[in-house]
Parts: sequence; C-alpha cells; structure tokens
Amino acid sequence: MDTLIDLGGGFASALEPLSLAFALLGVLLGTVVGVLPGIGPISAIAILIPVSFGMEPVHGLILLCGIYYGSMYGGSITATLIKTPGEVASAVTAIEGYEMARRGRGKAALATAAIGSFLAGTLAIIGLTFLSPVLVKLANVFGSTEYFLLMATALLLASTMSSGSRAKALISIFIGLAVGLVGLDFQTGLPRQTFGMSLLSDGIDFTIFAMALFAIPEAIRNLASGRGAKDVIQSFGDDKWMTKQDWQRSAMPWARGSVLGFIIGILPGVGPSLASFMSYIMEKRISKRKSEFGHGAIEGVAGPEAANNAGVGGAMIPLFSLGIPGSATTALLLFVFTMYGLQPGPLIFRDESGLIWTIIASMYIGNVALIILNLPLVGVFVKLLKMPKEILFSSILVLVAIGAYAIEFSLFGLMLLGIFGVIGYLMDKGGIPLAPSILALVLVPLLEDNFRRMLQISGGSFMPLLTRPVSLSIIVLMILGIVGPIIFRWWVRRRQLLADVSVA
Amino acid sequence: MSTLTPALRGDVITGIAVTLVGAVYYTATFWIQGTKNIVTPATFPAIVGIALIVLGLFLLGQALYRSRKLAEVVPAGAASAGSASVSGGAASAGIANGEASTDASEGVVDVEPEGIVIDAPDEPKSKQVVLQFALFFIYLGILIPVGFLLATAAFLMTMTSIYAPHRWVRNLIFSVLFAVIIYVAFVYGLGVYLPVGILG
Repeated sequence: MDTLIDLGGGFASALEPLSLAFALLGVLLGTVVGVLPGIGPISAIAILIPVSFGMEPVHGLILLCGIYYGSMYGGSITATLIKTPGEVASAVTAIEGYEMARRGRGKAALATAAIGSFLAGTLAIIGLTFLSPVLVKLANVFGSTEYFLLMATALLLASTMSSGSRAKALISIFIGLAVGLVGLDFQTGLPRQTFGMSLLSDGIDFTIFAMALFAIPEAIRNLASGRGAKDVIQSFGDDKWMTKQDWQRSAMPWARGSVLGFIIGILPGVGPSLASFMSYIMEKRISKRKSEFGHGAIEGVAGPEAANNAGVGGAMIPLFSLGIPGSATTALLLFVFTMYGLQPGPLIFRDESGLIWTIIASMYIGNVALIILNLPLVGVFVKLLKMPKEILFSSILVLVAIGAYAIEFSLFGLMLLGIFGVIGYLMDKGGIPLAPSILALVLVPLLEDNFRRMLQISGGSFMPLLTRPVSLSIIVLMILGIVGPIIFRWWVRRRQLLADVSVA
Repeated sequence: MSTLTPALRGDVITGIAVTLVGAVYYTATFWIQGTKNIVTPATFPAIVGIALIVLGLFLLGQALYRSRKLAEVVPAGAASAGSASVSGGAASAGIANGEASTDASEGVVDVEPEGIVIDAPDEPKSKQVVLQFALFFIYLGILIPVGFLLATAAFLMTMTSIYAPHRWVRNLIFSVLFAVIIYVAFVYGLGVYLPVGILG
C-alpha cells in the first residue's frame, strides 16, 4: 500500500507542467537522435548529457530517462527501414523488420515494435515499482562484501554475455578500470597513475570518456569512408498498419518477450541486448512458421522489441535499489545521478523518496508519450534518415566538443576527448567491445571502496565472501548464472542437432 | 607467419598493444606513495596492470596458436589440390593454398554461438581516418583561442566539403547556420558559455 501512495505522490509531481514537458521532450529528442543511423541509446545519452548540466536534478533525470527509451524506439525505426542498427539490441529488428519493410510491411513492423515496446515497457515499470521496495529492504542486510561481489559479478557477466571474444570483452573492462583509477585516491588523497601530470589528478571525466568512445569512432569511420555505398531507405507510404492476423501473431511474442526481457534486465551486467537476442532465438524455435524467419516474420520483431524494452525497465531495478548499473546505458544514468550529488541505492528511497518516485512515475508517462507521439509522427522521423552523412557526423563531432568544453572549460578536456576518441577507434578496430569499459569506469570507485572496506573489516581475509550467508548465496547464483548459459547453449545446440537429424 | 589471416594479425597486434599498455600501467604504480593499509592505493592499479598484461599475452598466444593450427590444415589442403592438377605445378598449388587458408580460417575463427549475422560496415582507408582525426584535433585545438563560432563554421565547412565538394553552397549555409544556432541555443538557452575567441 505504501508503494501505491509513494507512486501517487510521484505522479502528482511528474504531471506538473514542467516535468511533463521534460518527459515529452526527452522521448521526442531520444527518438530523433536514436533514428539517426549509427547512433544508439548509449551514444544518444552520452551526447545529450551536457544538455542536462544546468537543470534541476529531477528534470534532468526525467529528460535522460525519456531519451533512453525514445532512442531505443528510434533505433528500431532505423533498423527496420535501412537495416543499420544503432546498437546491438536492435540488431535483430534489422533482420526481420527490414525484411518486412522490403515486402511492403514496414508500417506493420513499426507498429508491432511500438505497441510491443509500450506494453513491455509498462509491464517492466510496474515490476520496477513493486520490486524495488522489496529489493531495498533486502539491501539493508548487504555489507561491503555483498556490494563488492555484486559489482564484480556485474563486470564478469558483462564480459561473458557480450558477443565475440571473451578475452576482448575482459580487456575492455580492464581498460575501463584502468582509466577510472587515474587521479587522486579517494581514501588517502594520493595521486595515482597520473604520469606526473597534475592535470590528471582530478581523474578522467566519465562523460568525456563516454562521448569519446561512443560518438567519435562512429563519426570518423563514416566521414572517412567517403561517398559510395548509399543506404537504401525502404518506403512505406501506402502500407497497411497491422492486420487482425498481425495482432494475433504478435500477442504471444509480446508477452513472452516482456517476461524474458524483464528477467534478463534485472541481472547485473546483462543489458537489454541479450534479451532481444534470446527472445529472437526463442520465437524462432517455438514458431510454427520457422521458414518465415529471416524473411520478415512479425514474431521476430514483436518478441525482441518487447524484450528489449522490458529489459530497460528491468535494468532500472538494480540501478535504483542497489545503485548497481546492469549495463553501459544504465551506467550512464548512474553517472548522471552522481553528477547531481545523488547516490542511487537503498538510501535514495529514504532520503530522496519524492524524487525517485517522480522519476518512476515519469517513466509511465514517457511510455504513453512514446506510443502517442511515435506512430503518427513516424513519417517525420523517417525524413531524418535522409540526412546526409557528412552533415550528421560532422555535427556530432561539434556536439561532443561542446560537451567536453562544458565539462572542463579547458584545452586539456578537449584534448582528452580527442585522445580517447583515437583510443576508442583503435579498440573498435581491434575488435574490443566498447560498452563494457563504460560500465567498468562507472563501477571503479564503488568496487575499490567496497573491496577495501571488506578487507579492512576482515583484517585482510577473503573468508567473509564464503562465510556470510548473503554473499554465499550470491556466489551460488553467480555460478549458476555463468554455468546456466553454457548449459542453455549446449541444450540449444543439441536440440538443433536432433532437429536436423529428424528432418534428414 | 604467412598463414596469419587479417583477423589473426589484428589479434596479434591488439595483444601486443594491450600487453604494452598493461606494462606501462603497472610500472606507473611504482610511483604511488606506499601506505600501511591492508589495501594500499597501489593495490587496485597493480591488479589492473597485471590483468591487462595477462589478457594481452593471452590474446597474442591465442592468435599465434590458431595460426599454427591453420598452418597444419593448409599444407594438407594444398597437397590435395596439387595432386588433383599435376600439370598445374607450383602456381596452381599457390592459388589453392590461398583459398584453403581463407576457408580454414573461417572455420577456426568463427566461433559465434548463435547464427545471427550483423553486417560489418566497410573499413575506411587508414589515410582518410588519420586525416579526419587530424582535422578534428585541429578543431579541438583552435576552439578556445579562435572561438566557437568561427572555429565551428570552418571545421564543418572543411569536413562536409571533403566529403561532398560539389555541394559547397549547401555546405557553407549549413556550417554557418549550425554554428550560430548551436551557439545561441547553448549560451542563451542552456546557460553554457562557449568560447568567444577573437570575436570577443
């Protein structure tokens, strides 16, 4: 009951004209930026963080949350119409959605994505509303041992769950940690890893690092690749929206995607991208129309899009109630909280309860806004796809330069931006994923702080990890979390083999 | 080393680079002042440095191991191709060798767990990349002394004109308008003061 009262209070302030305006603006801005080819939610938030500098914390956070799910939806428009996923999460939409658009079913694909996102997003926020207070109570028994363990788990899972080489994902994490440790040590005030440069003693700003990694390599690559391959934009002028059959075929994938996405989203270190992949694989497996997959099966859009957005809501739970981000994007949001001097976690529900419930309420509003704005306005967003590459990406370079300037007001900050841009480009070229290092950079201070406290209390012994019941249970869950996917994969492969055998 | 495919060669370079970065990072921890705490300020940086060295060496070793495995596969393929066309001689065996090595590399390198293929964007020429980065650094360098408006308009004009030289009128209009609109939006709308430079 308390939860409902809190939520009611949240709605009361989220519906104030200014808050409402920021929620709408965020969704709109997010969609616009997310539609731009090659720009996903992470880049969208990173580029737009400087906009929120001068704002009231509650407005800035409402705005950025709106940008988050707006950009997710914008990304699926791009994926459907030009097959350029802005990020991994919409990569599967780029398969089925694009094929649907090629077959004149573009509007149906966008509609099932939008409606699925709305339903799943709303369900996930309901989950967030009622699960967070429970988790907050649970968090009261958490000590530094548990926090350290959870954060280490988040990083470990982030490296095992990303596609591609695990060693490279781990390298990405350690690069993030390495960057995060530069500067004065929190506990002793001693300079670390500054290579004698006093300018580095303030550490490397997170926003500069995020902008450099997520905007610059993409922009430079596009600008340098020159004219040539032009994106083919699928038109959908006279398509029909969803037919009755589309609704029937989408309903179950929406439901399954929502549940799957929500559960995966809650796991530390696992973002919505895995949710959409797993939903796609699941839909393909249980579908009676397997042959349609890869040729525009609506289930392959409905499920993953729902999973994707449910994952966003799910990922907010550990962020809000424990202060542990589950993905690179929520890591950015965590950074924004700390920028305003707020520390998500159990305490924020006690000390800043008005603020946190306003943000949660604004998420409901943002989801409604998303569906009201986006279906009618889709024609306008599509025009953005026609924006010439050179204009788009040179503008982005200017915007990140402004961002870096607004943080440091110095040449040094600008040069850091450029240097990390080069590092990001080289990492990308070497096949090292960029997202895990963002997560690592945000977690360094907390990780080290809790590690120190744990060892200080135990007098240098690691035994509390095993002797404390809560921490032991986390370890057990963690092992299940790592062994589970391996067994799942083995099981999938076995099923595949059996299916192949039975077909033959 | 002739069997190093581009992907593996990339891994070798990445592995070496990461190892070196780790070594430099680890060395830098020697300059951190020691304390009597159980976990000193140097503990975490040292762990990170060592981890980078280990991971870099692992990547390097993995790439070299895979290329050796390839080397074992390739001669067999080349031999069978060679015996099939006896009259072809060295030249045809050489071609077959090349083909076999790419085929084998796909078999060894592709260990993606699920069958979802994401199209990789075309890799631009490195000369172009260096040029673009150089221009970006120049922009970052002149932003404060020259001022936002002039530096940005010039930067945008340069970038768009390299890409689409024949549309210089459009480029010019865009560059000037974008610089002015952003300046006004940030300075008057958001209260973020951008450098005025020589116009100030």
